[in-house]
Amino acid sequence: MPIVDRGLSLLTKLQAKNIVKHFDHNGKTVVALDGINLNVEEGDFICIVGPSGCGKSTFLNVVAGLEKPNSGEILLNGKLISTPGPDRIMVFQEGALFPWLKVIDNVEFGLKIAGIPKEERRELSHRYLDMMQLTKFADSYIYQLSTGMKQRVAIARALAMDPEVLLMDEPFAALDSQTRDLLLVELQLIWERTKKTIIFVTHNISESVILGNKVAIFKNRPAKIKKEIVIDYRRPRLAEDENLQKYYHQIVEELKSEVMPHAKDDTQ
Amino acid sequence: MNENTQFKGSHNLHDAANAALFVAAFLGMWQIIFMLGIWPKISLPSPILVAENFAKIIWNGSLPQSIGITLARLIGAFTISATLGILIGFTMIKFKGFGKTLNSFSAGLLSFPSIAWVPFSILLIGFNEFGIMFVVIMSSIFSIMISTYSSIRNIPPIYLDAARNMGARGFLLFRYVTIPAATPSLIIGLRQAWSFAWHAIIGAEILMSIVGLGHILSVGREFLDMSQVIASMITIFAIGLLVDRLLLYKLEDKVRRKWGLDLHR
Repeated sequence: MPIVDRGLSLLTKLQAKNIVKHFDHNGKTVVALDGINLNVEEGDFICIVGPSGCGKSTFLNVVAGLEKPNSGEILLNGKLISTPGPDRIMVFQEGALFPWLKVIDNVEFGLKIAGIPKEERRELSHRYLDMMQLTKFADSYIYQLSTGMKQRVAIARALAMDPEVLLMDEPFAALDSQTRDLLLVELQLIWERTKKTIIFVTHNISESVILGNKVAIFKNRPAKIKKEIVIDYRRPRLAEDENLQKYYHQIVEELKSEVMPHAKDDTQ
Repeated sequence: MNENTQFKGSHNLHDAANAALFVAAFLGMWQIIFMLGIWPKISLPSPILVAENFAKIIWNGSLPQSIGITLARLIGAFTISATLGILIGFTMIKFKGFGKTLNSFSAGLLSFPSIAWVPFSILLIGFNEFGIMFVVIMSSIFSIMISTYSSIRNIPPIYLDAARNMGARGFLLFRYVTIPAATPSLIIGLRQAWSFAWHAIIGAEILMSIVGLGHILSVGREFLDMSQVIASMITIFAIGLLVDRLLLYKLEDKVRRKWGLDLHR
């Protein structure tokens, strides 16, 4: 069933307009983002894929408001945003859970900051812990969990905040392949159930093909969006589904021309 | 869980047996050296003589009183030092230039000998409680300031990013993220500062006081009573050890366990 058709004009949820970001690196200016334009529609699951160091995580940090762009703007529901806020919740690569809090208190952290009363917090946190099959571990501390469980907690924490947009920065990069495959399916089910708008950054092409209904391909130096492709295919998609191969190869082709010239640079 | 506690229990027993063996060996060697007669009895009394003196100064009340006075001064001064030191540490974080400057003085301030504060304190404040407490405060406060400052600066940025991402800022960010994230290393700093304060109070009492543990130590010297000197030294050692093991180390250990920092064998 087609979920999003590019021809239909749906509600624009988040808009990145000509985002430019550079860093000072030992006195030299490095251009991390060179005019990124991206439209994310309500309910999109958009994957940003590209080579390491292409600035895709920087872009996500700009969207989250954790980094300020040198120019350009981010609009959420048509309104300009420039600071971090609970309307855009990030799931970090390393989970970024707080080791001094129990699992349940980690999940409730943002709710507590937002001033939501304790009973309501408990109800919400239990709902999402349950969704992520973590109920048994509510009173555990973070170090007692496996890497996969930590990422589940991070996802539960993000969902409990009920953000307008969920930002995911290579959340499965540190997982073993079985755990990752499981979470890839779960994340699709959660997306279908919650209708969340998700921006998911990854360097893993097959991950982007499995998850995204759109894939934005980032190109390197200068960092721009090279191409956006639409993946209109039934869900839940599995890692081993051969019908996804053509999308996979399409992205590989696009990225090949990106990675190759630099590979040559490096050998010279 | 059960296995774990059993293991821990046998571990403790093992430690205690080792400690007992060590003390017995130490007392034995002491007794042998005493019996060899290298030093006259007055310069090196036997363990028994020291034990007798211990009994005497406990019985006549001078030891318990001295311990009470010294600890009261120490706790008072350390509380002031910790409160002020932590507050100044926070200020150093808030005002970056100030923090940087003060931090670069840290090496000199941290290694400044506590005894070197005594003449200054005598002339500024005098031979009184406040003079002694001043020495203790000056000897420990810099360590607290510096460790507060560096504990906060060493918080992994990802915690702050995650918290800001969830809408925490200002006081809430400070209260719910900065403080707990800095706690493990802050406790290590407090533990170190406590030992600085402990050095300082004994030194200051030897030179400035007419009561307290440092004082009975120097009275021992004045009356050529080596057994009293040794008894005071053992008391000082024992209190230092007990406070560190029963209070500060326990606290640190608890936090480390909660964070999962104590998992390597």
